[in-house]
Formats: sequence, structure tokens, C-alpha cells
Amino acid sequence: MLTEFLDFLGSLHPLIVHLPIGIILLTIAIDVFMRNKNNSVHRVITMGWFFTFFTGLLAALFGWFLGDNGYYFESQINIHRWSGIALVSLSFIIWVLRYINFRFSKPFNRSLNLTTIILLMVTGHFGGEMTHGQNYLFENLPYIEKEISLVKLSEAKRSKADSLMVYEDLIHPILEEKCMACHNQNHAHGRLNMSAFESMVKGGNSGAGIKKGKPYESLIYKRVSFPHDHPKFMPPAGVPLSYDQIATLEWWIDNGAEKQIPVTSVRNDAKIQRMIEMQYGLDLKEKTFLETLKLASPSPERLNSIQGEKYFFRYLNPEQSFMDLKFTKKEIKTKDLINIQKVKKNIVWLNLMDCMLKDDHLSYLNDFPNLTRLKIQKNPLITNKGIEALKNLENLSELNLYGTQVSDAALITLGQIQSLKKLFLWNTRITPQAIADFKAQHPDIEIVAGL
Amino acid sequence: MHCNDHHHENKNYSRRDFLTKTSLGLGALSLGSMISPVNAYGQSEFLNLLDSEKMKLPHFVPKAKRVIYLFQSGAPSQLDLFDYKPKLNEMFGKEVPKSIIGEQRLTGMSSGQNSFPMAGSLFQFNQHGQSGAWMSELMPYTSKIVDDLCFIKSMYTDAINHDPAMTMIQTGSELPGRPSIGSWLSYGLGTDNKNLPEFVVLVTKGKNGQPLYSRLWGNGFLPSQHQGVQFRSGKDAVLYLDNPPGVSSGIREEQLKSLEKLQRIQHADIGDPEILTKISNYEMAYRMQTSVPEVMDVSDEPEYIFDLYGEDSKNPGTFAANCLLARKLVEKDVKFIQLYHRGWDQHGNLPKDIKKQAKETDQATAALIQDLKQRGLLEDTLVIWGGEFGRTNYSQGMLKPDNYGRDHHPRCFTIFMAGAGVKKGITIGATDDFGYNIAERPVHVHDFQATLMHLLGIDHEKLTFKFQGRRYRLTDVHGNVVKEVLA
Repeated sequence: MLTEFLDFLGSLHPLIVHLPIGIILLTIAIDVFMRNKNNSVHRVITMGWFFTFFTGLLAALFGWFLGDNGYYFESQINIHRWSGIALVSLSFIIWVLRYINFRFSKPFNRSLNLTTIILLMVTGHFGGEMTHGQNYLFENLPYIEKEISLVKLSEAKRSKADSLMVYEDLIHPILEEKCMACHNQNHAHGRLNMSAFESMVKGGNSGAGIKKGKPYESLIYKRVSFPHDHPKFMPPAGVPLSYDQIATLEWWIDNGAEKQIPVTSVRNDAKIQRMIEMQYGLDLKEKTFLETLKLASPSPERLNSIQGEKYFFRYLNPEQSFMDLKFTKKEIKTKDLINIQKVKKNIVWLNLMDCMLKDDHLSYLNDFPNLTRLKIQKNPLITNKGIEALKNLENLSELNLYGTQVSDAALITLGQIQSLKKLFLWNTRITPQAIADFKAQHPDIEIVAGL
Repeated sequence: MHCNDHHHENKNYSRRDFLTKTSLGLGALSLGSMISPVNAYGQSEFLNLLDSEKMKLPHFVPKAKRVIYLFQSGAPSQLDLFDYKPKLNEMFGKEVPKSIIGEQRLTGMSSGQNSFPMAGSLFQFNQHGQSGAWMSELMPYTSKIVDDLCFIKSMYTDAINHDPAMTMIQTGSELPGRPSIGSWLSYGLGTDNKNLPEFVVLVTKGKNGQPLYSRLWGNGFLPSQHQGVQFRSGKDAVLYLDNPPGVSSGIREEQLKSLEKLQRIQHADIGDPEILTKISNYEMAYRMQTSVPEVMDVSDEPEYIFDLYGEDSKNPGTFAANCLLARKLVEKDVKFIQLYHRGWDQHGNLPKDIKKQAKETDQATAALIQDLKQRGLLEDTLVIWGGEFGRTNYSQGMLKPDNYGRDHHPRCFTIFMAGAGVKKGITIGATDDFGYNIAERPVHVHDFQATLMHLLGIDHEKLTFKFQGRRYRLTDVHGNVVKEVLA
């Protein structure tokens, strides 16, 4: 009964708190702007300080009750609480000094006024942070990048989206912010402790917190998605869970509510994926090899080896490290390949089409670690023997062999390239039957072999 | 540095400023290094010294390295080719509801009509491929490759007449004077083959219809080496390229070298960046003396390739022959190849005329895409087919059971794309049952341009050129990448 009454008084805090604010400002304004003050003006100012103290005291008291009911963390309230109390105390002292007609020197009076205003701003600001969120002050300034995420992920975590876990990185922080002030180890309202995974699933007095795979039978989901005026709606005070947060929770429970579900598994649901990407500033799209590759630009000495008319290259990224290189002359020599080898780390696309490339030459290509696209079409001297060298290209995804002499046996070699996605085999000796067999074995590899 | 009297007349730009800025880049300049014109050449574009964004090109790893834009000038009727509207057949001859036309401004050609009778297409539509794309019987060859295509049925534009609409889709503005798409790409990405221009234009010969102006492939305010170069059919593919009679190649080379020296003196003197452009144009022309005849020569092509592109492909200057040429240019790493095929402006007699047009383009378009595909070139080449706007769902002039015409319609039209980085077998956007308004996912011309740039690794908001006091870009202040298109 008493607790409930105190909770009621606590809820009056936002109502009362604006009275002392107005009175302080008015009192100081009169003090500063009215020159030649007579006695009655002085009396008004003294009275002003009294009302500041009195209403401030009420506000502080109600605020204490509000802070005590467990909906806020101590770390959030701390500064607000104590600067508020300091403000009330200061106004009390000023009132007493004025009441006993203590003689203020002008600088002393000014510094008291200034201190009061500063304390008022500090208190007000931290109060505002609690009701309007951490960055309420600047979020609507023009040119300020809007903070989209409600629950924050660190930059380090955001850059490693592949290793994030739904429970640990998404669900737990939501529950921490919205629920755990009342449902924690020391302070488990309704005997529900949500700070640990197991106890949260287990639930409290009303039953199991989570039924895996069944969001609509899980109490935690039900309570946060009730209509807001429902008596059991959670959280009972403060900002409710956002639509996106509830949807994330629903998706997680629906998908088994296990501790070890990676965030990337939201790829099974485009809507929730988009929602989480927006909410957390994540990019959950599946990355190609090049999108994850970090490389430094080739050194000037290495670049020197591919100067001249024979080689043409351009960079494919703003960091100027991925190279797309082609050989421009009609006949390639071993020493050209040795030159190209000098920048092998940086070459991601390589075009050696139609330049009399021979089987021996291909052995110089066997360790290009970042090569993803290789074009050696229209080189009629290339046979199965040369292809052997390519099986070590561990990131090769596209290989163009049209117009070479490769035959069915080459497919056995090519099948060993794990990263291969596309193969161009038009005008080779490879038979349709061999292609059909290869397709059956490697359904992920697309083969283009003519019309 | 010495002083020329006539410079004092120009009070707006101090000679000292001018020379200080332009001479900065001269040391770094070398004709041979055209790998990245931004690095080698960008400095001398004194107006753009500050455009540091351009230094970072491409902005991300591109999907496409080259573009073939099969421009269908005159605006092909989407309602008779791609956008199947059985409702129009059901309501054949009935008035288009007022609520559908709304506030749309009509051209002077049909605004005076008392009646706007709906004209359902006379052509049969069928679904094709695994994607089930609707195609009319006019395009039998293209129908066979729909699973390689990405249709956008909800394109729209601002202009209602040909010239502004073409200028819009080619340059991003209805007003003449802006650089064409190909020029922007040449400016931003440089060349991949210094023996050929980055931007080549091929126009189907002997076609009538809306006029084509060379400013459609013009460089606008960009340095003039970025303009499109038209390759003509016949003996002189590029005009005035051959040496005059009696002048040998050696003499020509010497002559050009001496000329270059003079030009460099002139440039050091007055610093006009166009002088450098001129030097590079002479150089390019010299190299093209051998490279152009080589690329224009189709005698090596096997018979089955001609069969693929259709019988027209042996007749130089036809759309089919130009498609084959486009493939050859792509093989040579020409960056942007713009074909124009005129004659789609069918205000009357549409059913008869469109048949002819479709026949001229259908087989070669499909052949080009297939040919690129089998060679592995479709992986990094983007092919686009489309006009400048759409055509009305009502008949311009008298509607007869077997004849109608269609007026210009900017509110919706269809284009299709294939190749690098574009989803296959997909249709984006939709029009309403009357084929008059967009019902789903509108794609403005600027969105299309932004998407095209994106596929080439360019952020359309970052590739700018400062001219007359402000920075311009292809999409001006508009355009959003159509993400649905991206594979």
C-alpha cells in the first residue's frame, strides 16, 4: 500500500519538476534585470527563492520515489539525483541568507546566481536524457548524422557482422535496457531474473519466460506486445520496446530461441534482415571474397615490372589495390608472365585472352592468391596439361576457357577448384555428356558452353 | 613565362593565377600514360583541381566494365512489345477513363481529339522462359532469352517530345549542353584500350524518323576527348582518318610530333586545357588509322555467327551489322558503345510499321546477348535496350479494328537490360491495368542513370565536374540506385 502510494508520488515528479525551474529563472531574472530595487522587490526575490526551495524539495522527494521503484538504473539517475539535491540545498541556503538580511556583495550574488543556473542546466539535461534518450539534445540538429540504432553495437562488433549472435548481441541488450532494472539477480520482480539466459527461459511466478519456437506462448513476448494500457503490459514505465525490437524477439523465439543462433541466419527472412540492418546499422548481405579482401597498393618497384605498352591495367577499388590486368599484344612470352607475377597479390582479374598462351605459361599462374576472374580464352595451344596448374587458385570464381583445346579430363581438375562459380567452355573439346555429368556433380557451378 | 598582351584584356581571370594553376599539372603530363586520365591528366583541368572525389574512382568494385546501349529512337510502343494489358483488348474502343489520364499534358498531336479510344494491342502475347515474362509475338528471338533479361516496366520521364526526352535520357537534362552518359564514363573511368575511343557511336543507316544530333553523344562541358566517336558504315568508318594521298605513315607521324611541340608551346603560353585535348585527339586519330580498320573488318567471322545475327548482319550499317560490330568493340574493351535505331515513332499505322521495326532489331538484339554470353563477355558487359519514353494506351487518330496509332507517353515505358551485375529473368515495376500509369516501383530516368553508373563502380553523386561555378553530375540533383536490379 505504502509502496504503491510512493510510486504514485513518484509519477508526479515530471509534473512538479517544472515549477522550481520556472521560479528560479523568474527570480534570477528579477534580480538581474531590475535596477534600483526597493524593499518590496527584495522581498519578492526572497520569496522567489523560498518557492524555489519548496517546490524543488517536493520535486526532489518525488524524484527519489520515482528513482527508487526500480525502472531506472542507478548509473542513469546518479548525476541527476545528486545535482538536483544540490540545487535544492543551494536554494535553501540562498533563501535563508536573504531571509536574515545577509549582505551580499555584488560578485558573490552573481556567482550564486550563476552556480544555480549551471546546476539547473546539469540537472535538467540528465533528466532529459532519461526521458528522451541519451542523445536527445543533438539528434535533431541539421547536419548531424541521425543515430538509427536504439540499442547500440560497437563499431568493432558491427564490422564483424558474421560473428554476431542473436541472443548475446541483439536480444540481451534489449532486455537489459528494458527489463533488467526490475528483473535481475538481486531484484527479481515476480521471481523473474532475466539477466541470465537460463533463468530467463525458465521464467518466474507466472510461468515459463520463453517457449522455444512458440513466440505467442512465450510470456516475455506476450507481455511486451500487449496493448499499452493492458495491466500486464511490460515494461510498466519508461519507453516500451519498439516495433522492430518486438519483431526481432518474435523472430528469435520463432527460430528456436537458442543462445547460439548467429545473426546471419536472419538471411532466411528478408523483412527481419532489413529491419535488423536498419536498426543496428549492419550489413548482413552475404559478402563476396573481394568484399572482404583487404590489400595494400602494389609498391612502385613491383609496378615497374608491368610498365610499358604490353600490359594494361586499372584499379578496381578506390584504395587502388585490386588490379584488373590484361596483356595487350598478340604473343605472350615467359618473361611477360614473370613480370606479371611480381604483382600477383594485387591481381584480382586477369585477361590473357588471344595471345598464344601455352600450357607451360600457366604454371606461372599457380599461386595468384586473390585472382577471382581469369580469362584465357582463344588460346588454341592450351590443353588439359596446362589446366593442372590452375587448381591451386583458391579464390578463382570465374574461368573462361572458350576456344582452347581442353577436353573432358580437364573437368576433373576444374572440379577441384572449390571457389569456382562459372565456367566458359564454348568451342572446346569438352563433350555435352561430360558437361551434363559435371553439372550433376557440381550444381553450384554455372557452365556456359555455347547456345 | 612570358607575357602576351592580349591576356591583359581578360580582367576576370588573372594570368598569374591561370599559369600557376595550369603549370602544376604539366610536369606530370605524359601522353603515353592514359591508364588513369584522372592522375595523368586531371591536374591540368584547372577548373576541377578540387574534385578530389574523382581521384578515388572507381568508388567500389564494378560489376560492369562496358556498356552497349541499344537506343531505340522514336519511342517503341511498350504496349505492343512487352507490357501486356488484356484490359485494353477487353475495352477496345471505349474511352480512357478521365481519372486515368488525370492531369497528364498531351502533345499537340492528340490533345485536340474529341475521343481517346483505348487500343488493345493487335499482337499476341505469351509468357516465356522460366521467369514467365510476357512478350508479344513481335519479338520471337528476344522471347527465347527472357531468362537472361531484366525488364523495367515502370520507367518514366519528364519530357513528352522526342528531342528533350532523348536529351534527358542521354545526358540527364532536357536542355542541350550536358555531357552524354558515355562521356561521363570516359571522363570518370578512362580508357581500357588506348588504340580506340572510349565512347563509340553506331547509327543504323537509311532510317527515317526523329533526327539524331551529334550532341546526344557530345561531351558537353567535359574536355572534348570524351565525346562519342561515330563509326560509319562503308569505306571511311571514321571521317578524315586516312592520310591524304601521297603522305606516308612515317611522314604523318613526324608531322604530328612537330605539331605537338607547337601545341605544347601554345599550351604553356595560354594554358587552355582544350589544347591538350587536341593533342590527345591527334594521337588517338593516328592510332585509329590501324585499329579502326581492324575492328571494322568482319571477314574473320564464321558463317554461323552471321546466321545468329540474321541476314542483315552482312549488310554494313544495318542494326544487325552494328550489333555484331558492338560485340567486336566490346572484345577490344571499348567502354561505351551507343547504337541508335530510328523509326519507332508510330503515331499512325502502328501495327504495320512496328512489325518492320521489330524485325530489324529483334534477332540481332537476342544474338548480341547470346554471343556475348557464350564468350563470357556478358559477365562484365551491360546491354540496355530502350527508347526515350512510352506510347499512349489510346489511339491517336481513328481507331480501327486492325489499325491504330499511339501518341507520346512519358508516364510509363519499358526497357530491358542484360549482363553484368543485373538480375536475370526478373521484371521490376508494373503499370496499371490500362497501361497508362505506374502501379508499382516507379523508376525515373535519373534512377536508371544512377543504376547504370553504380554497375560501373561509380557513385553517381560523387562523379562531378565543375562548370560555370557549380558542380554538375549526370543525374544533376536527382537519382536513386534501383537496388532491385542488382544481382
